[in-house]
Amino acid sequence: MGEKTDVWQGTLALMVLKTLEMLGSLHGYGIARRIEQTSGDLLSVNYGTLYPALLKLEQEGYIDSEWGVSDNKRKAKFYRLTRAGRKQLAREAKEWGQTTAILARFLAPGEEQS
Amino acid sequence: MRGIRAWFLRLRNFFSGGKNAEQDFAAEMQSNLQLHIDENLRRGMSAEEARREALMRLGGIAQTEEMVRDRRSLPWLESFAQDFRFASRMLLKNPGFTITAVLILALGIGANAAMFSVVRAVLLRPLAYSQPDRIVRVATLWTKSGHQGQVSAPDFHDWHDQSTAFEHMAIYANYEMPISVGTGANAIAEFPMATAISSDFFECFGIAPAIGREFTSDELKVGGAGAVIVSYGFAVRSFAEPQLAIGKAVVADGKSLDIVGVMPPGFGFPEKTDVWLTEGIFGEETPSRSAHNYRVVGKLKDGVDLAEAQTQMTAIGSRLEAQYPDSNKTKSVAVTRLRDFLVSDYRLTLLVMLAAVGVVLLIACANLANMLLARAVGRIREIAIRTAIGAGRGRIVRQLVTESVALALFAALVGVLVAYWGVKTMVALAPPDVPRLSEAGIDGGVLLFALAISLLASLVFGLAPALQVLRVDINSALKQSVRRAGGGTLADRLRQGLVVAEIALSVVLVAGAGLLVKSLLALQNVQLGITSERIVMAETSVPSTDLDTAKRGIRFYSQLQPELRAFPGVHNVAATTMVPGYTSSNGIYFVDHLPTNFDITGPNAIFTVVTPAAFATMGIPLRTGRDFNDGDVYDAPFTAVINDALARRTFPNQDPIGRMIFCGLDSGKGMKIVGVVGNVRQQGPTSEPEAEIYMPYLQHPQPATNMRVIVRTDAEPGAITAAMREKMRVISPDVPAKFSTMEQALSENIAAPRFRTLLLGIFAGLAVCLALAGVYGVMSYVVGQRANEIGLRMALGASPGEILRLVLRQALVLAGMGIVIGFAGAAAVTRLLASMLFGVKPSDPATYAAVIGIVLAAALLASYIPARRAMRVDPMVALRYE
Repeated sequence: MGEKTDVWQGTLALMVLKTLEMLGSLHGYGIARRIEQTSGDLLSVNYGTLYPALLKLEQEGYIDSEWGVSDNKRKAKFYRLTRAGRKQLAREAKEWGQTTAILARFLAPGEEQS
Repeated sequence: MRGIRAWFLRLRNFFSGGKNAEQDFAAEMQSNLQLHIDENLRRGMSAEEARREALMRLGGIAQTEEMVRDRRSLPWLESFAQDFRFASRMLLKNPGFTITAVLILALGIGANAAMFSVVRAVLLRPLAYSQPDRIVRVATLWTKSGHQGQVSAPDFHDWHDQSTAFEHMAIYANYEMPISVGTGANAIAEFPMATAISSDFFECFGIAPAIGREFTSDELKVGGAGAVIVSYGFAVRSFAEPQLAIGKAVVADGKSLDIVGVMPPGFGFPEKTDVWLTEGIFGEETPSRSAHNYRVVGKLKDGVDLAEAQTQMTAIGSRLEAQYPDSNKTKSVAVTRLRDFLVSDYRLTLLVMLAAVGVVLLIACANLANMLLARAVGRIREIAIRTAIGAGRGRIVRQLVTESVALALFAALVGVLVAYWGVKTMVALAPPDVPRLSEAGIDGGVLLFALAISLLASLVFGLAPALQVLRVDINSALKQSVRRAGGGTLADRLRQGLVVAEIALSVVLVAGAGLLVKSLLALQNVQLGITSERIVMAETSVPSTDLDTAKRGIRFYSQLQPELRAFPGVHNVAATTMVPGYTSSNGIYFVDHLPTNFDITGPNAIFTVVTPAAFATMGIPLRTGRDFNDGDVYDAPFTAVINDALARRTFPNQDPIGRMIFCGLDSGKGMKIVGVVGNVRQQGPTSEPEAEIYMPYLQHPQPATNMRVIVRTDAEPGAITAAMREKMRVISPDVPAKFSTMEQALSENIAAPRFRTLLLGIFAGLAVCLALAGVYGVMSYVVGQRANEIGLRMALGASPGEILRLVLRQALVLAGMGIVIGFAGAAAVTRLLASMLFGVKPSDPATYAAVIGIVLAAALLASYIPARRAMRVDPMVALRYE
């Protein structure tokens, strides 16, 4: 596990929102697994980071939670995107895209300005 | 937005305690674990292994929960609440300390909140008119003296026509005017405040009658029909229902006028006016630019500020000065915001009181700092132990600060009660003419103020003890005795410095109060020139329009006097137009002959019309010549009596008796001087007596229609007024009368000085009591600290007297330092009081001597008990203790 990176706080919220958009409603365990899988197991998500982030998103009204039953008949708390969360995701994704595009231009080799 | 929502949710969780949320969280973690185990089993791990791996991945649940809990609620608030609960418990465990501290602080906070409430109502709150900041008073400015005063009618018209800064500008004049409502035997006559106004007056305030209408331009015209508008209160008093007032007639200045409007409740500008009349009913305005008989109010145009208006009016003033040098020399114009003008008499008094009460709070804070320092010493061990088991210094300082805050909040609660009572008392004690004082009360603003100053105070008094803790060396604190660990010369110096500061601050207050007390005594001891005891007065006015009707007045007073004289207990009866504090007329006078071409800047005198026996009734001594008598009738040669001041000025080393004197009261006829009487301070105790000419009422019927009937009597004033009212009614029902006693009238002259003296006296008394407590506290502490030394001294043969002197000497050194510093402060501060002082200089040595006496006595008194305790130290016990 030594080569895995802990997830960065700032981007975790965005990953959570995106995950919920993709999969609809999902429990905390599922969210953690999904993010790790999507990162190609490069990231490790521990609950000490994930849960404060979930609570913050819920307090800000971007996600909702509800107890339900999982596929394998286990009681679990499911998180779901709200409408405000959807908007927030769009906004943050756009900002992130811009940020990475800008950084990419800085880091891209060769393409010097004249 | 989202942030605020989250914050509220967290605040709600703080209050709900988060119990459900914690169970919920535990269940969720359990479910996550289960899901993980399920998945591991599916991947083919053994049950044992699946569980082990899942638990490992789950990580420290306690840690996660801690982080979630921080996010769920507001951790700093939680720790504050925890500290606050702990602080409250600590305070309750030591009720003696807590009650003393809370009471001391509550006095300071309460006094401040009460004073703030008054200052806000009187000085800060905007006037209750629309756009109050644009309403201004426009006045004549006498450029030589800086004095601002009334306005002449022609000046007003030039100001009005030439200025562009004003939306409205109106002229008015107000006086207590005899007005009767109804006719015949049902007539009610009284002296309401009446104001004659020009057009635009009400527009300046953006206000209109609540019932009825404003004056029409026809009514406002000179020689027009005229009309009156009355206040809501007047309408209710006179007609029960305000609607009924419309169309009813009042008689004012001998004319019957219809009421056309009733103003909304609460409007009574100026000076609680009850009746507004059209200016035109008094005929043409006084055409002279030297007759300053009017006042002016204006409303600035939107967007014009005060400075612009002032600049424009100054320019107009200089233009008029150049154009009319005879009358307008040294005259300019002053524009003042109406509110500032209304409160100008009390601004300084109130601000001084606010400062004084702030000083009281500072002293209370110093006291509390001292108490907490002493307590912190007692708690050194507790703190050392807590530090030793891992509490950070920051955490402990926070705990101590929270204790201060808790104290301050308790004190604020009690302080609000003090303030409630304080405001009521101040309103009751204040002179009746303080504007808007009745609006003072405890409301949200005052509560907020009390909260703010209590928190501020807690920082002031809580800082020293908290910082002291940072200097404590845990090791030595744990090892040594409590007494030694808390010592340290720095803490001792701080403690003594605080007491010196308390003494110095109270010296400043006591000095200020002393000066005011001395002024008040001087004011009360001023010889007014009359004997005021046992005089009942009735202000009366006989309606008249011309000389013939004016003679009714003469009949009224000449019939009334013998009737009143027949009452049991009545010694003397007379009538006069002047009583101290009130004069009706003054002007220029000439002797021997009337010059054809006179200099209007010549000497002035007060003109007073009296009945015979007025001098004897008021106790004014007759120096030479005779009093008036019933022979001084209209057809006889005119006579006059002058006062000492006029005799000394105009007839130095001559005999004035038999000389002729002329004045323009109501006729130019020469009057033969038949007597000289003593001086009276006609304008009240603060001004010197002026020259005065007395004239017999039979020869001046018109001025004699408005006189004060004065009765010197042993009878109860209440009984005699009832009888007087009845007699007057029988003789002439339409003559209004307003009763008072001479002593009441005179005490109104000194109501303002008495008020501020009383207030500052109370604050100074509080300051001294607090300083006394401070000295007591420190000296008790010092005696405790020096118990060993004292025991040693006694063992070596010191007598109890020597020990007593030893302790008292230390107290005197502190008091002496406080007095020296306080004197420096007082010298700087009492100069602010200069305008409130009468007959005493700000540097009055006798006052300062008294201050030294009072403060030293208080310091000795406060240290006597600890000193006695020191005398009783048992040398054996003290030495063994070490």
